[in-house]
Amino acid sequence: MTALDLSSAERKPPIDWAGYVFVAFFTIPFLAFNVAPLIFGAGLAFTKWGIFGKPQWIGLQNFSDMLHDEWVGIAFKNTALYAVIIVPGVLVFGLACALYVHQRWPLAGLARTLFFSPNVVSGTVIGLVWTWLLDTQYGLVNHYLGLIGISAIPWLTSAQWALFGVSIASVWWDLGLAFVLFLAALQDLPKELYEAADVDGASRWQRLRLVILPQLRPVISMVATLQMISSLRIFTQVYVMTDGGPAGATTSVVFYMYQAGIQRQFFGYASAVAMSLFALILVMTFVMRRFVRER
Amino acid sequence: MSKTRKMSRRQFAKLAGKSALVATAAATFPAPFVKGAEPITLTHWSWLSASDAEVWGKMIDAFNAANTDIQLKLELVPDDQYDTKLLAAAAAGQAPDFGWGTAGQRAQWAKDGVIIPLDDLATKVGLDLSDFSAQPMQKARYPKYDNKLFMIPMDLMSLQPEVNLDHVKEAGLDPEKFPTDGDGLLEWAKAMTKRDGDKVTRSGIMMTGSGVQPTVTWGIVARQMGFLRASDDLKTACVNPDAGKAAMQWILDLFDKLKVSTRDVTNRYKAFGTGQGSIFWTGPWTLNGYVQQKLNFRTYLFPKIGQELHTYFEMGGMELYVQSDTSRYEASMKAVKWLSDNGFLWTTQGRGASPRLSTLARPDYKTSGHDWSVRGAFVDGMAFATEGEIPVLAGPDFTIYAGDNFLAKTLETVWAGQKSIDTAMSEIQAKWQSDLDAG
Repeated sequence: MTALDLSSAERKPPIDWAGYVFVAFFTIPFLAFNVAPLIFGAGLAFTKWGIFGKPQWIGLQNFSDMLHDEWVGIAFKNTALYAVIIVPGVLVFGLACALYVHQRWPLAGLARTLFFSPNVVSGTVIGLVWTWLLDTQYGLVNHYLGLIGISAIPWLTSAQWALFGVSIASVWWDLGLAFVLFLAALQDLPKELYEAADVDGASRWQRLRLVILPQLRPVISMVATLQMISSLRIFTQVYVMTDGGPAGATTSVVFYMYQAGIQRQFFGYASAVAMSLFALILVMTFVMRRFVRER
Repeated sequence: MSKTRKMSRRQFAKLAGKSALVATAAATFPAPFVKGAEPITLTHWSWLSASDAEVWGKMIDAFNAANTDIQLKLELVPDDQYDTKLLAAAAAGQAPDFGWGTAGQRAQWAKDGVIIPLDDLATKVGLDLSDFSAQPMQKARYPKYDNKLFMIPMDLMSLQPEVNLDHVKEAGLDPEKFPTDGDGLLEWAKAMTKRDGDKVTRSGIMMTGSGVQPTVTWGIVARQMGFLRASDDLKTACVNPDAGKAAMQWILDLFDKLKVSTRDVTNRYKAFGTGQGSIFWTGPWTLNGYVQQKLNFRTYLFPKIGQELHTYFEMGGMELYVQSDTSRYEASMKAVKWLSDNGFLWTTQGRGASPRLSTLARPDYKTSGHDWSVRGAFVDGMAFATEGEIPVLAGPDFTIYAGDNFLAKTLETVWAGQKSIDTAMSEIQAKWQSDLDAG
């Protein structure tokens, strides 16, 4: 081997710049529109800033103010209630719909489309449609309830009912994704398990409880985690259907952030609330993964 | 003999650099406004979105048709995004030239220099400030900021009751004898309310369970009963809190005791337009829409529910935003002057009463635009329209025409039965006092 050959062999392989270019299409927007705002927002939480002028460093003042702001407490409580209603709602109805289609009951083909269709409609449209459906005086829901003797329920105009009304629309909207995931998981279950259950004389309920649900645990965990994160970030339905009212009964954390930041220009304070929500989501995700999936 | 001159790479780079510099400078520093030069295009932002927006569009079109040296580009920005977008644009040096504002809500902007003082500019372009009535000129200034003028008033608005005449007839009431006091008002409301069992299906007095309507009603009734949000010297909050509490009780009684209103209405404008309510106090911005849909209604003067007659006051006007190119201010002020001088259409068909004495004095002022039976109360009622903004930094927290500020959110808890009247008043008093102390 000559000296020239040796030196070229020791040289590092040339960099394939084309690879970096392909990666850049994702990386640059991700850094610019996800990572940078996250870092900026985290920094902003320690400042007082109203867009015009420079942010003023105030340390932990925003977090301290949050502790004394009763509306923050209300927003977090409401958000937790959304999660408590929506997550089980989506799990139960998503699974029920998936079982219906999987069992090939009547009109299963049509039902497959119908169950998924709300998921492809925008949240704003869902909110508007449900605002009309749940109208106290002229809504279809109260109309049909009236036919069976139930008096009109103030779904969106009473502080007692409004959060539940918004949750109904949210469950309907989010159902589609859970349905698809459950259906895919059901179709992947080995047929032998069903046959073995039949041989052992298991009833339908026993088959569901002792065979199907344990097998679906990983999917249930995933749907629950995704749905919980989605519920903690609820905004569009609240904005469209109730504007956070009445009396703050439907104000979620993200909606409160919107009010503090976009409507009142307290961007530092809104960022502090956002960081708190971020921490909450992080903890909840960890807890759910730990206690639901890995058990 | 032809002589070919060759250019070195260094020379080429220098030339290219200079060309780029000139091009950049030309784009960055547009030519100042000079009469006789190319027409200057001014950007005008508006948040008008009710039926009055159509009339404002006509005003802008008329301006562009009448002026060759200045052209206006109207951009609509939703009301709830206006402030944030404007601040972001101003921070980026891209603020529109001028736009709509509500008097008394901009103390922070005046302090930060987002809006500019207009006294000198008005004089420079020949806008006759002495032609404006006294109240609007006072409301367009900020006493805490050298009492400078920060707005050119365009319209004066008040809240007055619009009444569905079909309901009046159905109830056997005389439309010529609309009540002038609280007791009479409640009698009319009872007569026009419809119920299904215990449930109100048509409100005698149009109300909502949350948002603007109960908040502004409280503001008006409380003032009539003797409550002041802030003392005249802006040092003491909540003067006569008992009157404020009595006003809260008055509203609760509409829902729960007298049952002439329901909390179940979500969109008050639509509800009144579709006959779900009989008496609806609102502003002149609704006229165009209800007239166009041929609603059979009439507007009356607000009755005296408490000891003194007051109603909500709002003044809309033009404000100029900070520019890096200060030569644009004069062009903007000329445009504003034209819109003010030609505001007859706006204050006869658009909304509100005119702030210009010369317009009010025109013999055709009462006969032009919408019929006086629906428009007149909004003009005559300005005499007792006093409840406007509190011109301090935290002014928006004091606003009574609001659906999601501190006041509205606190009062909502009373309407929903979550807080007692006493607790709510204590909270309002504490917050407002700290706001006033902050300046």
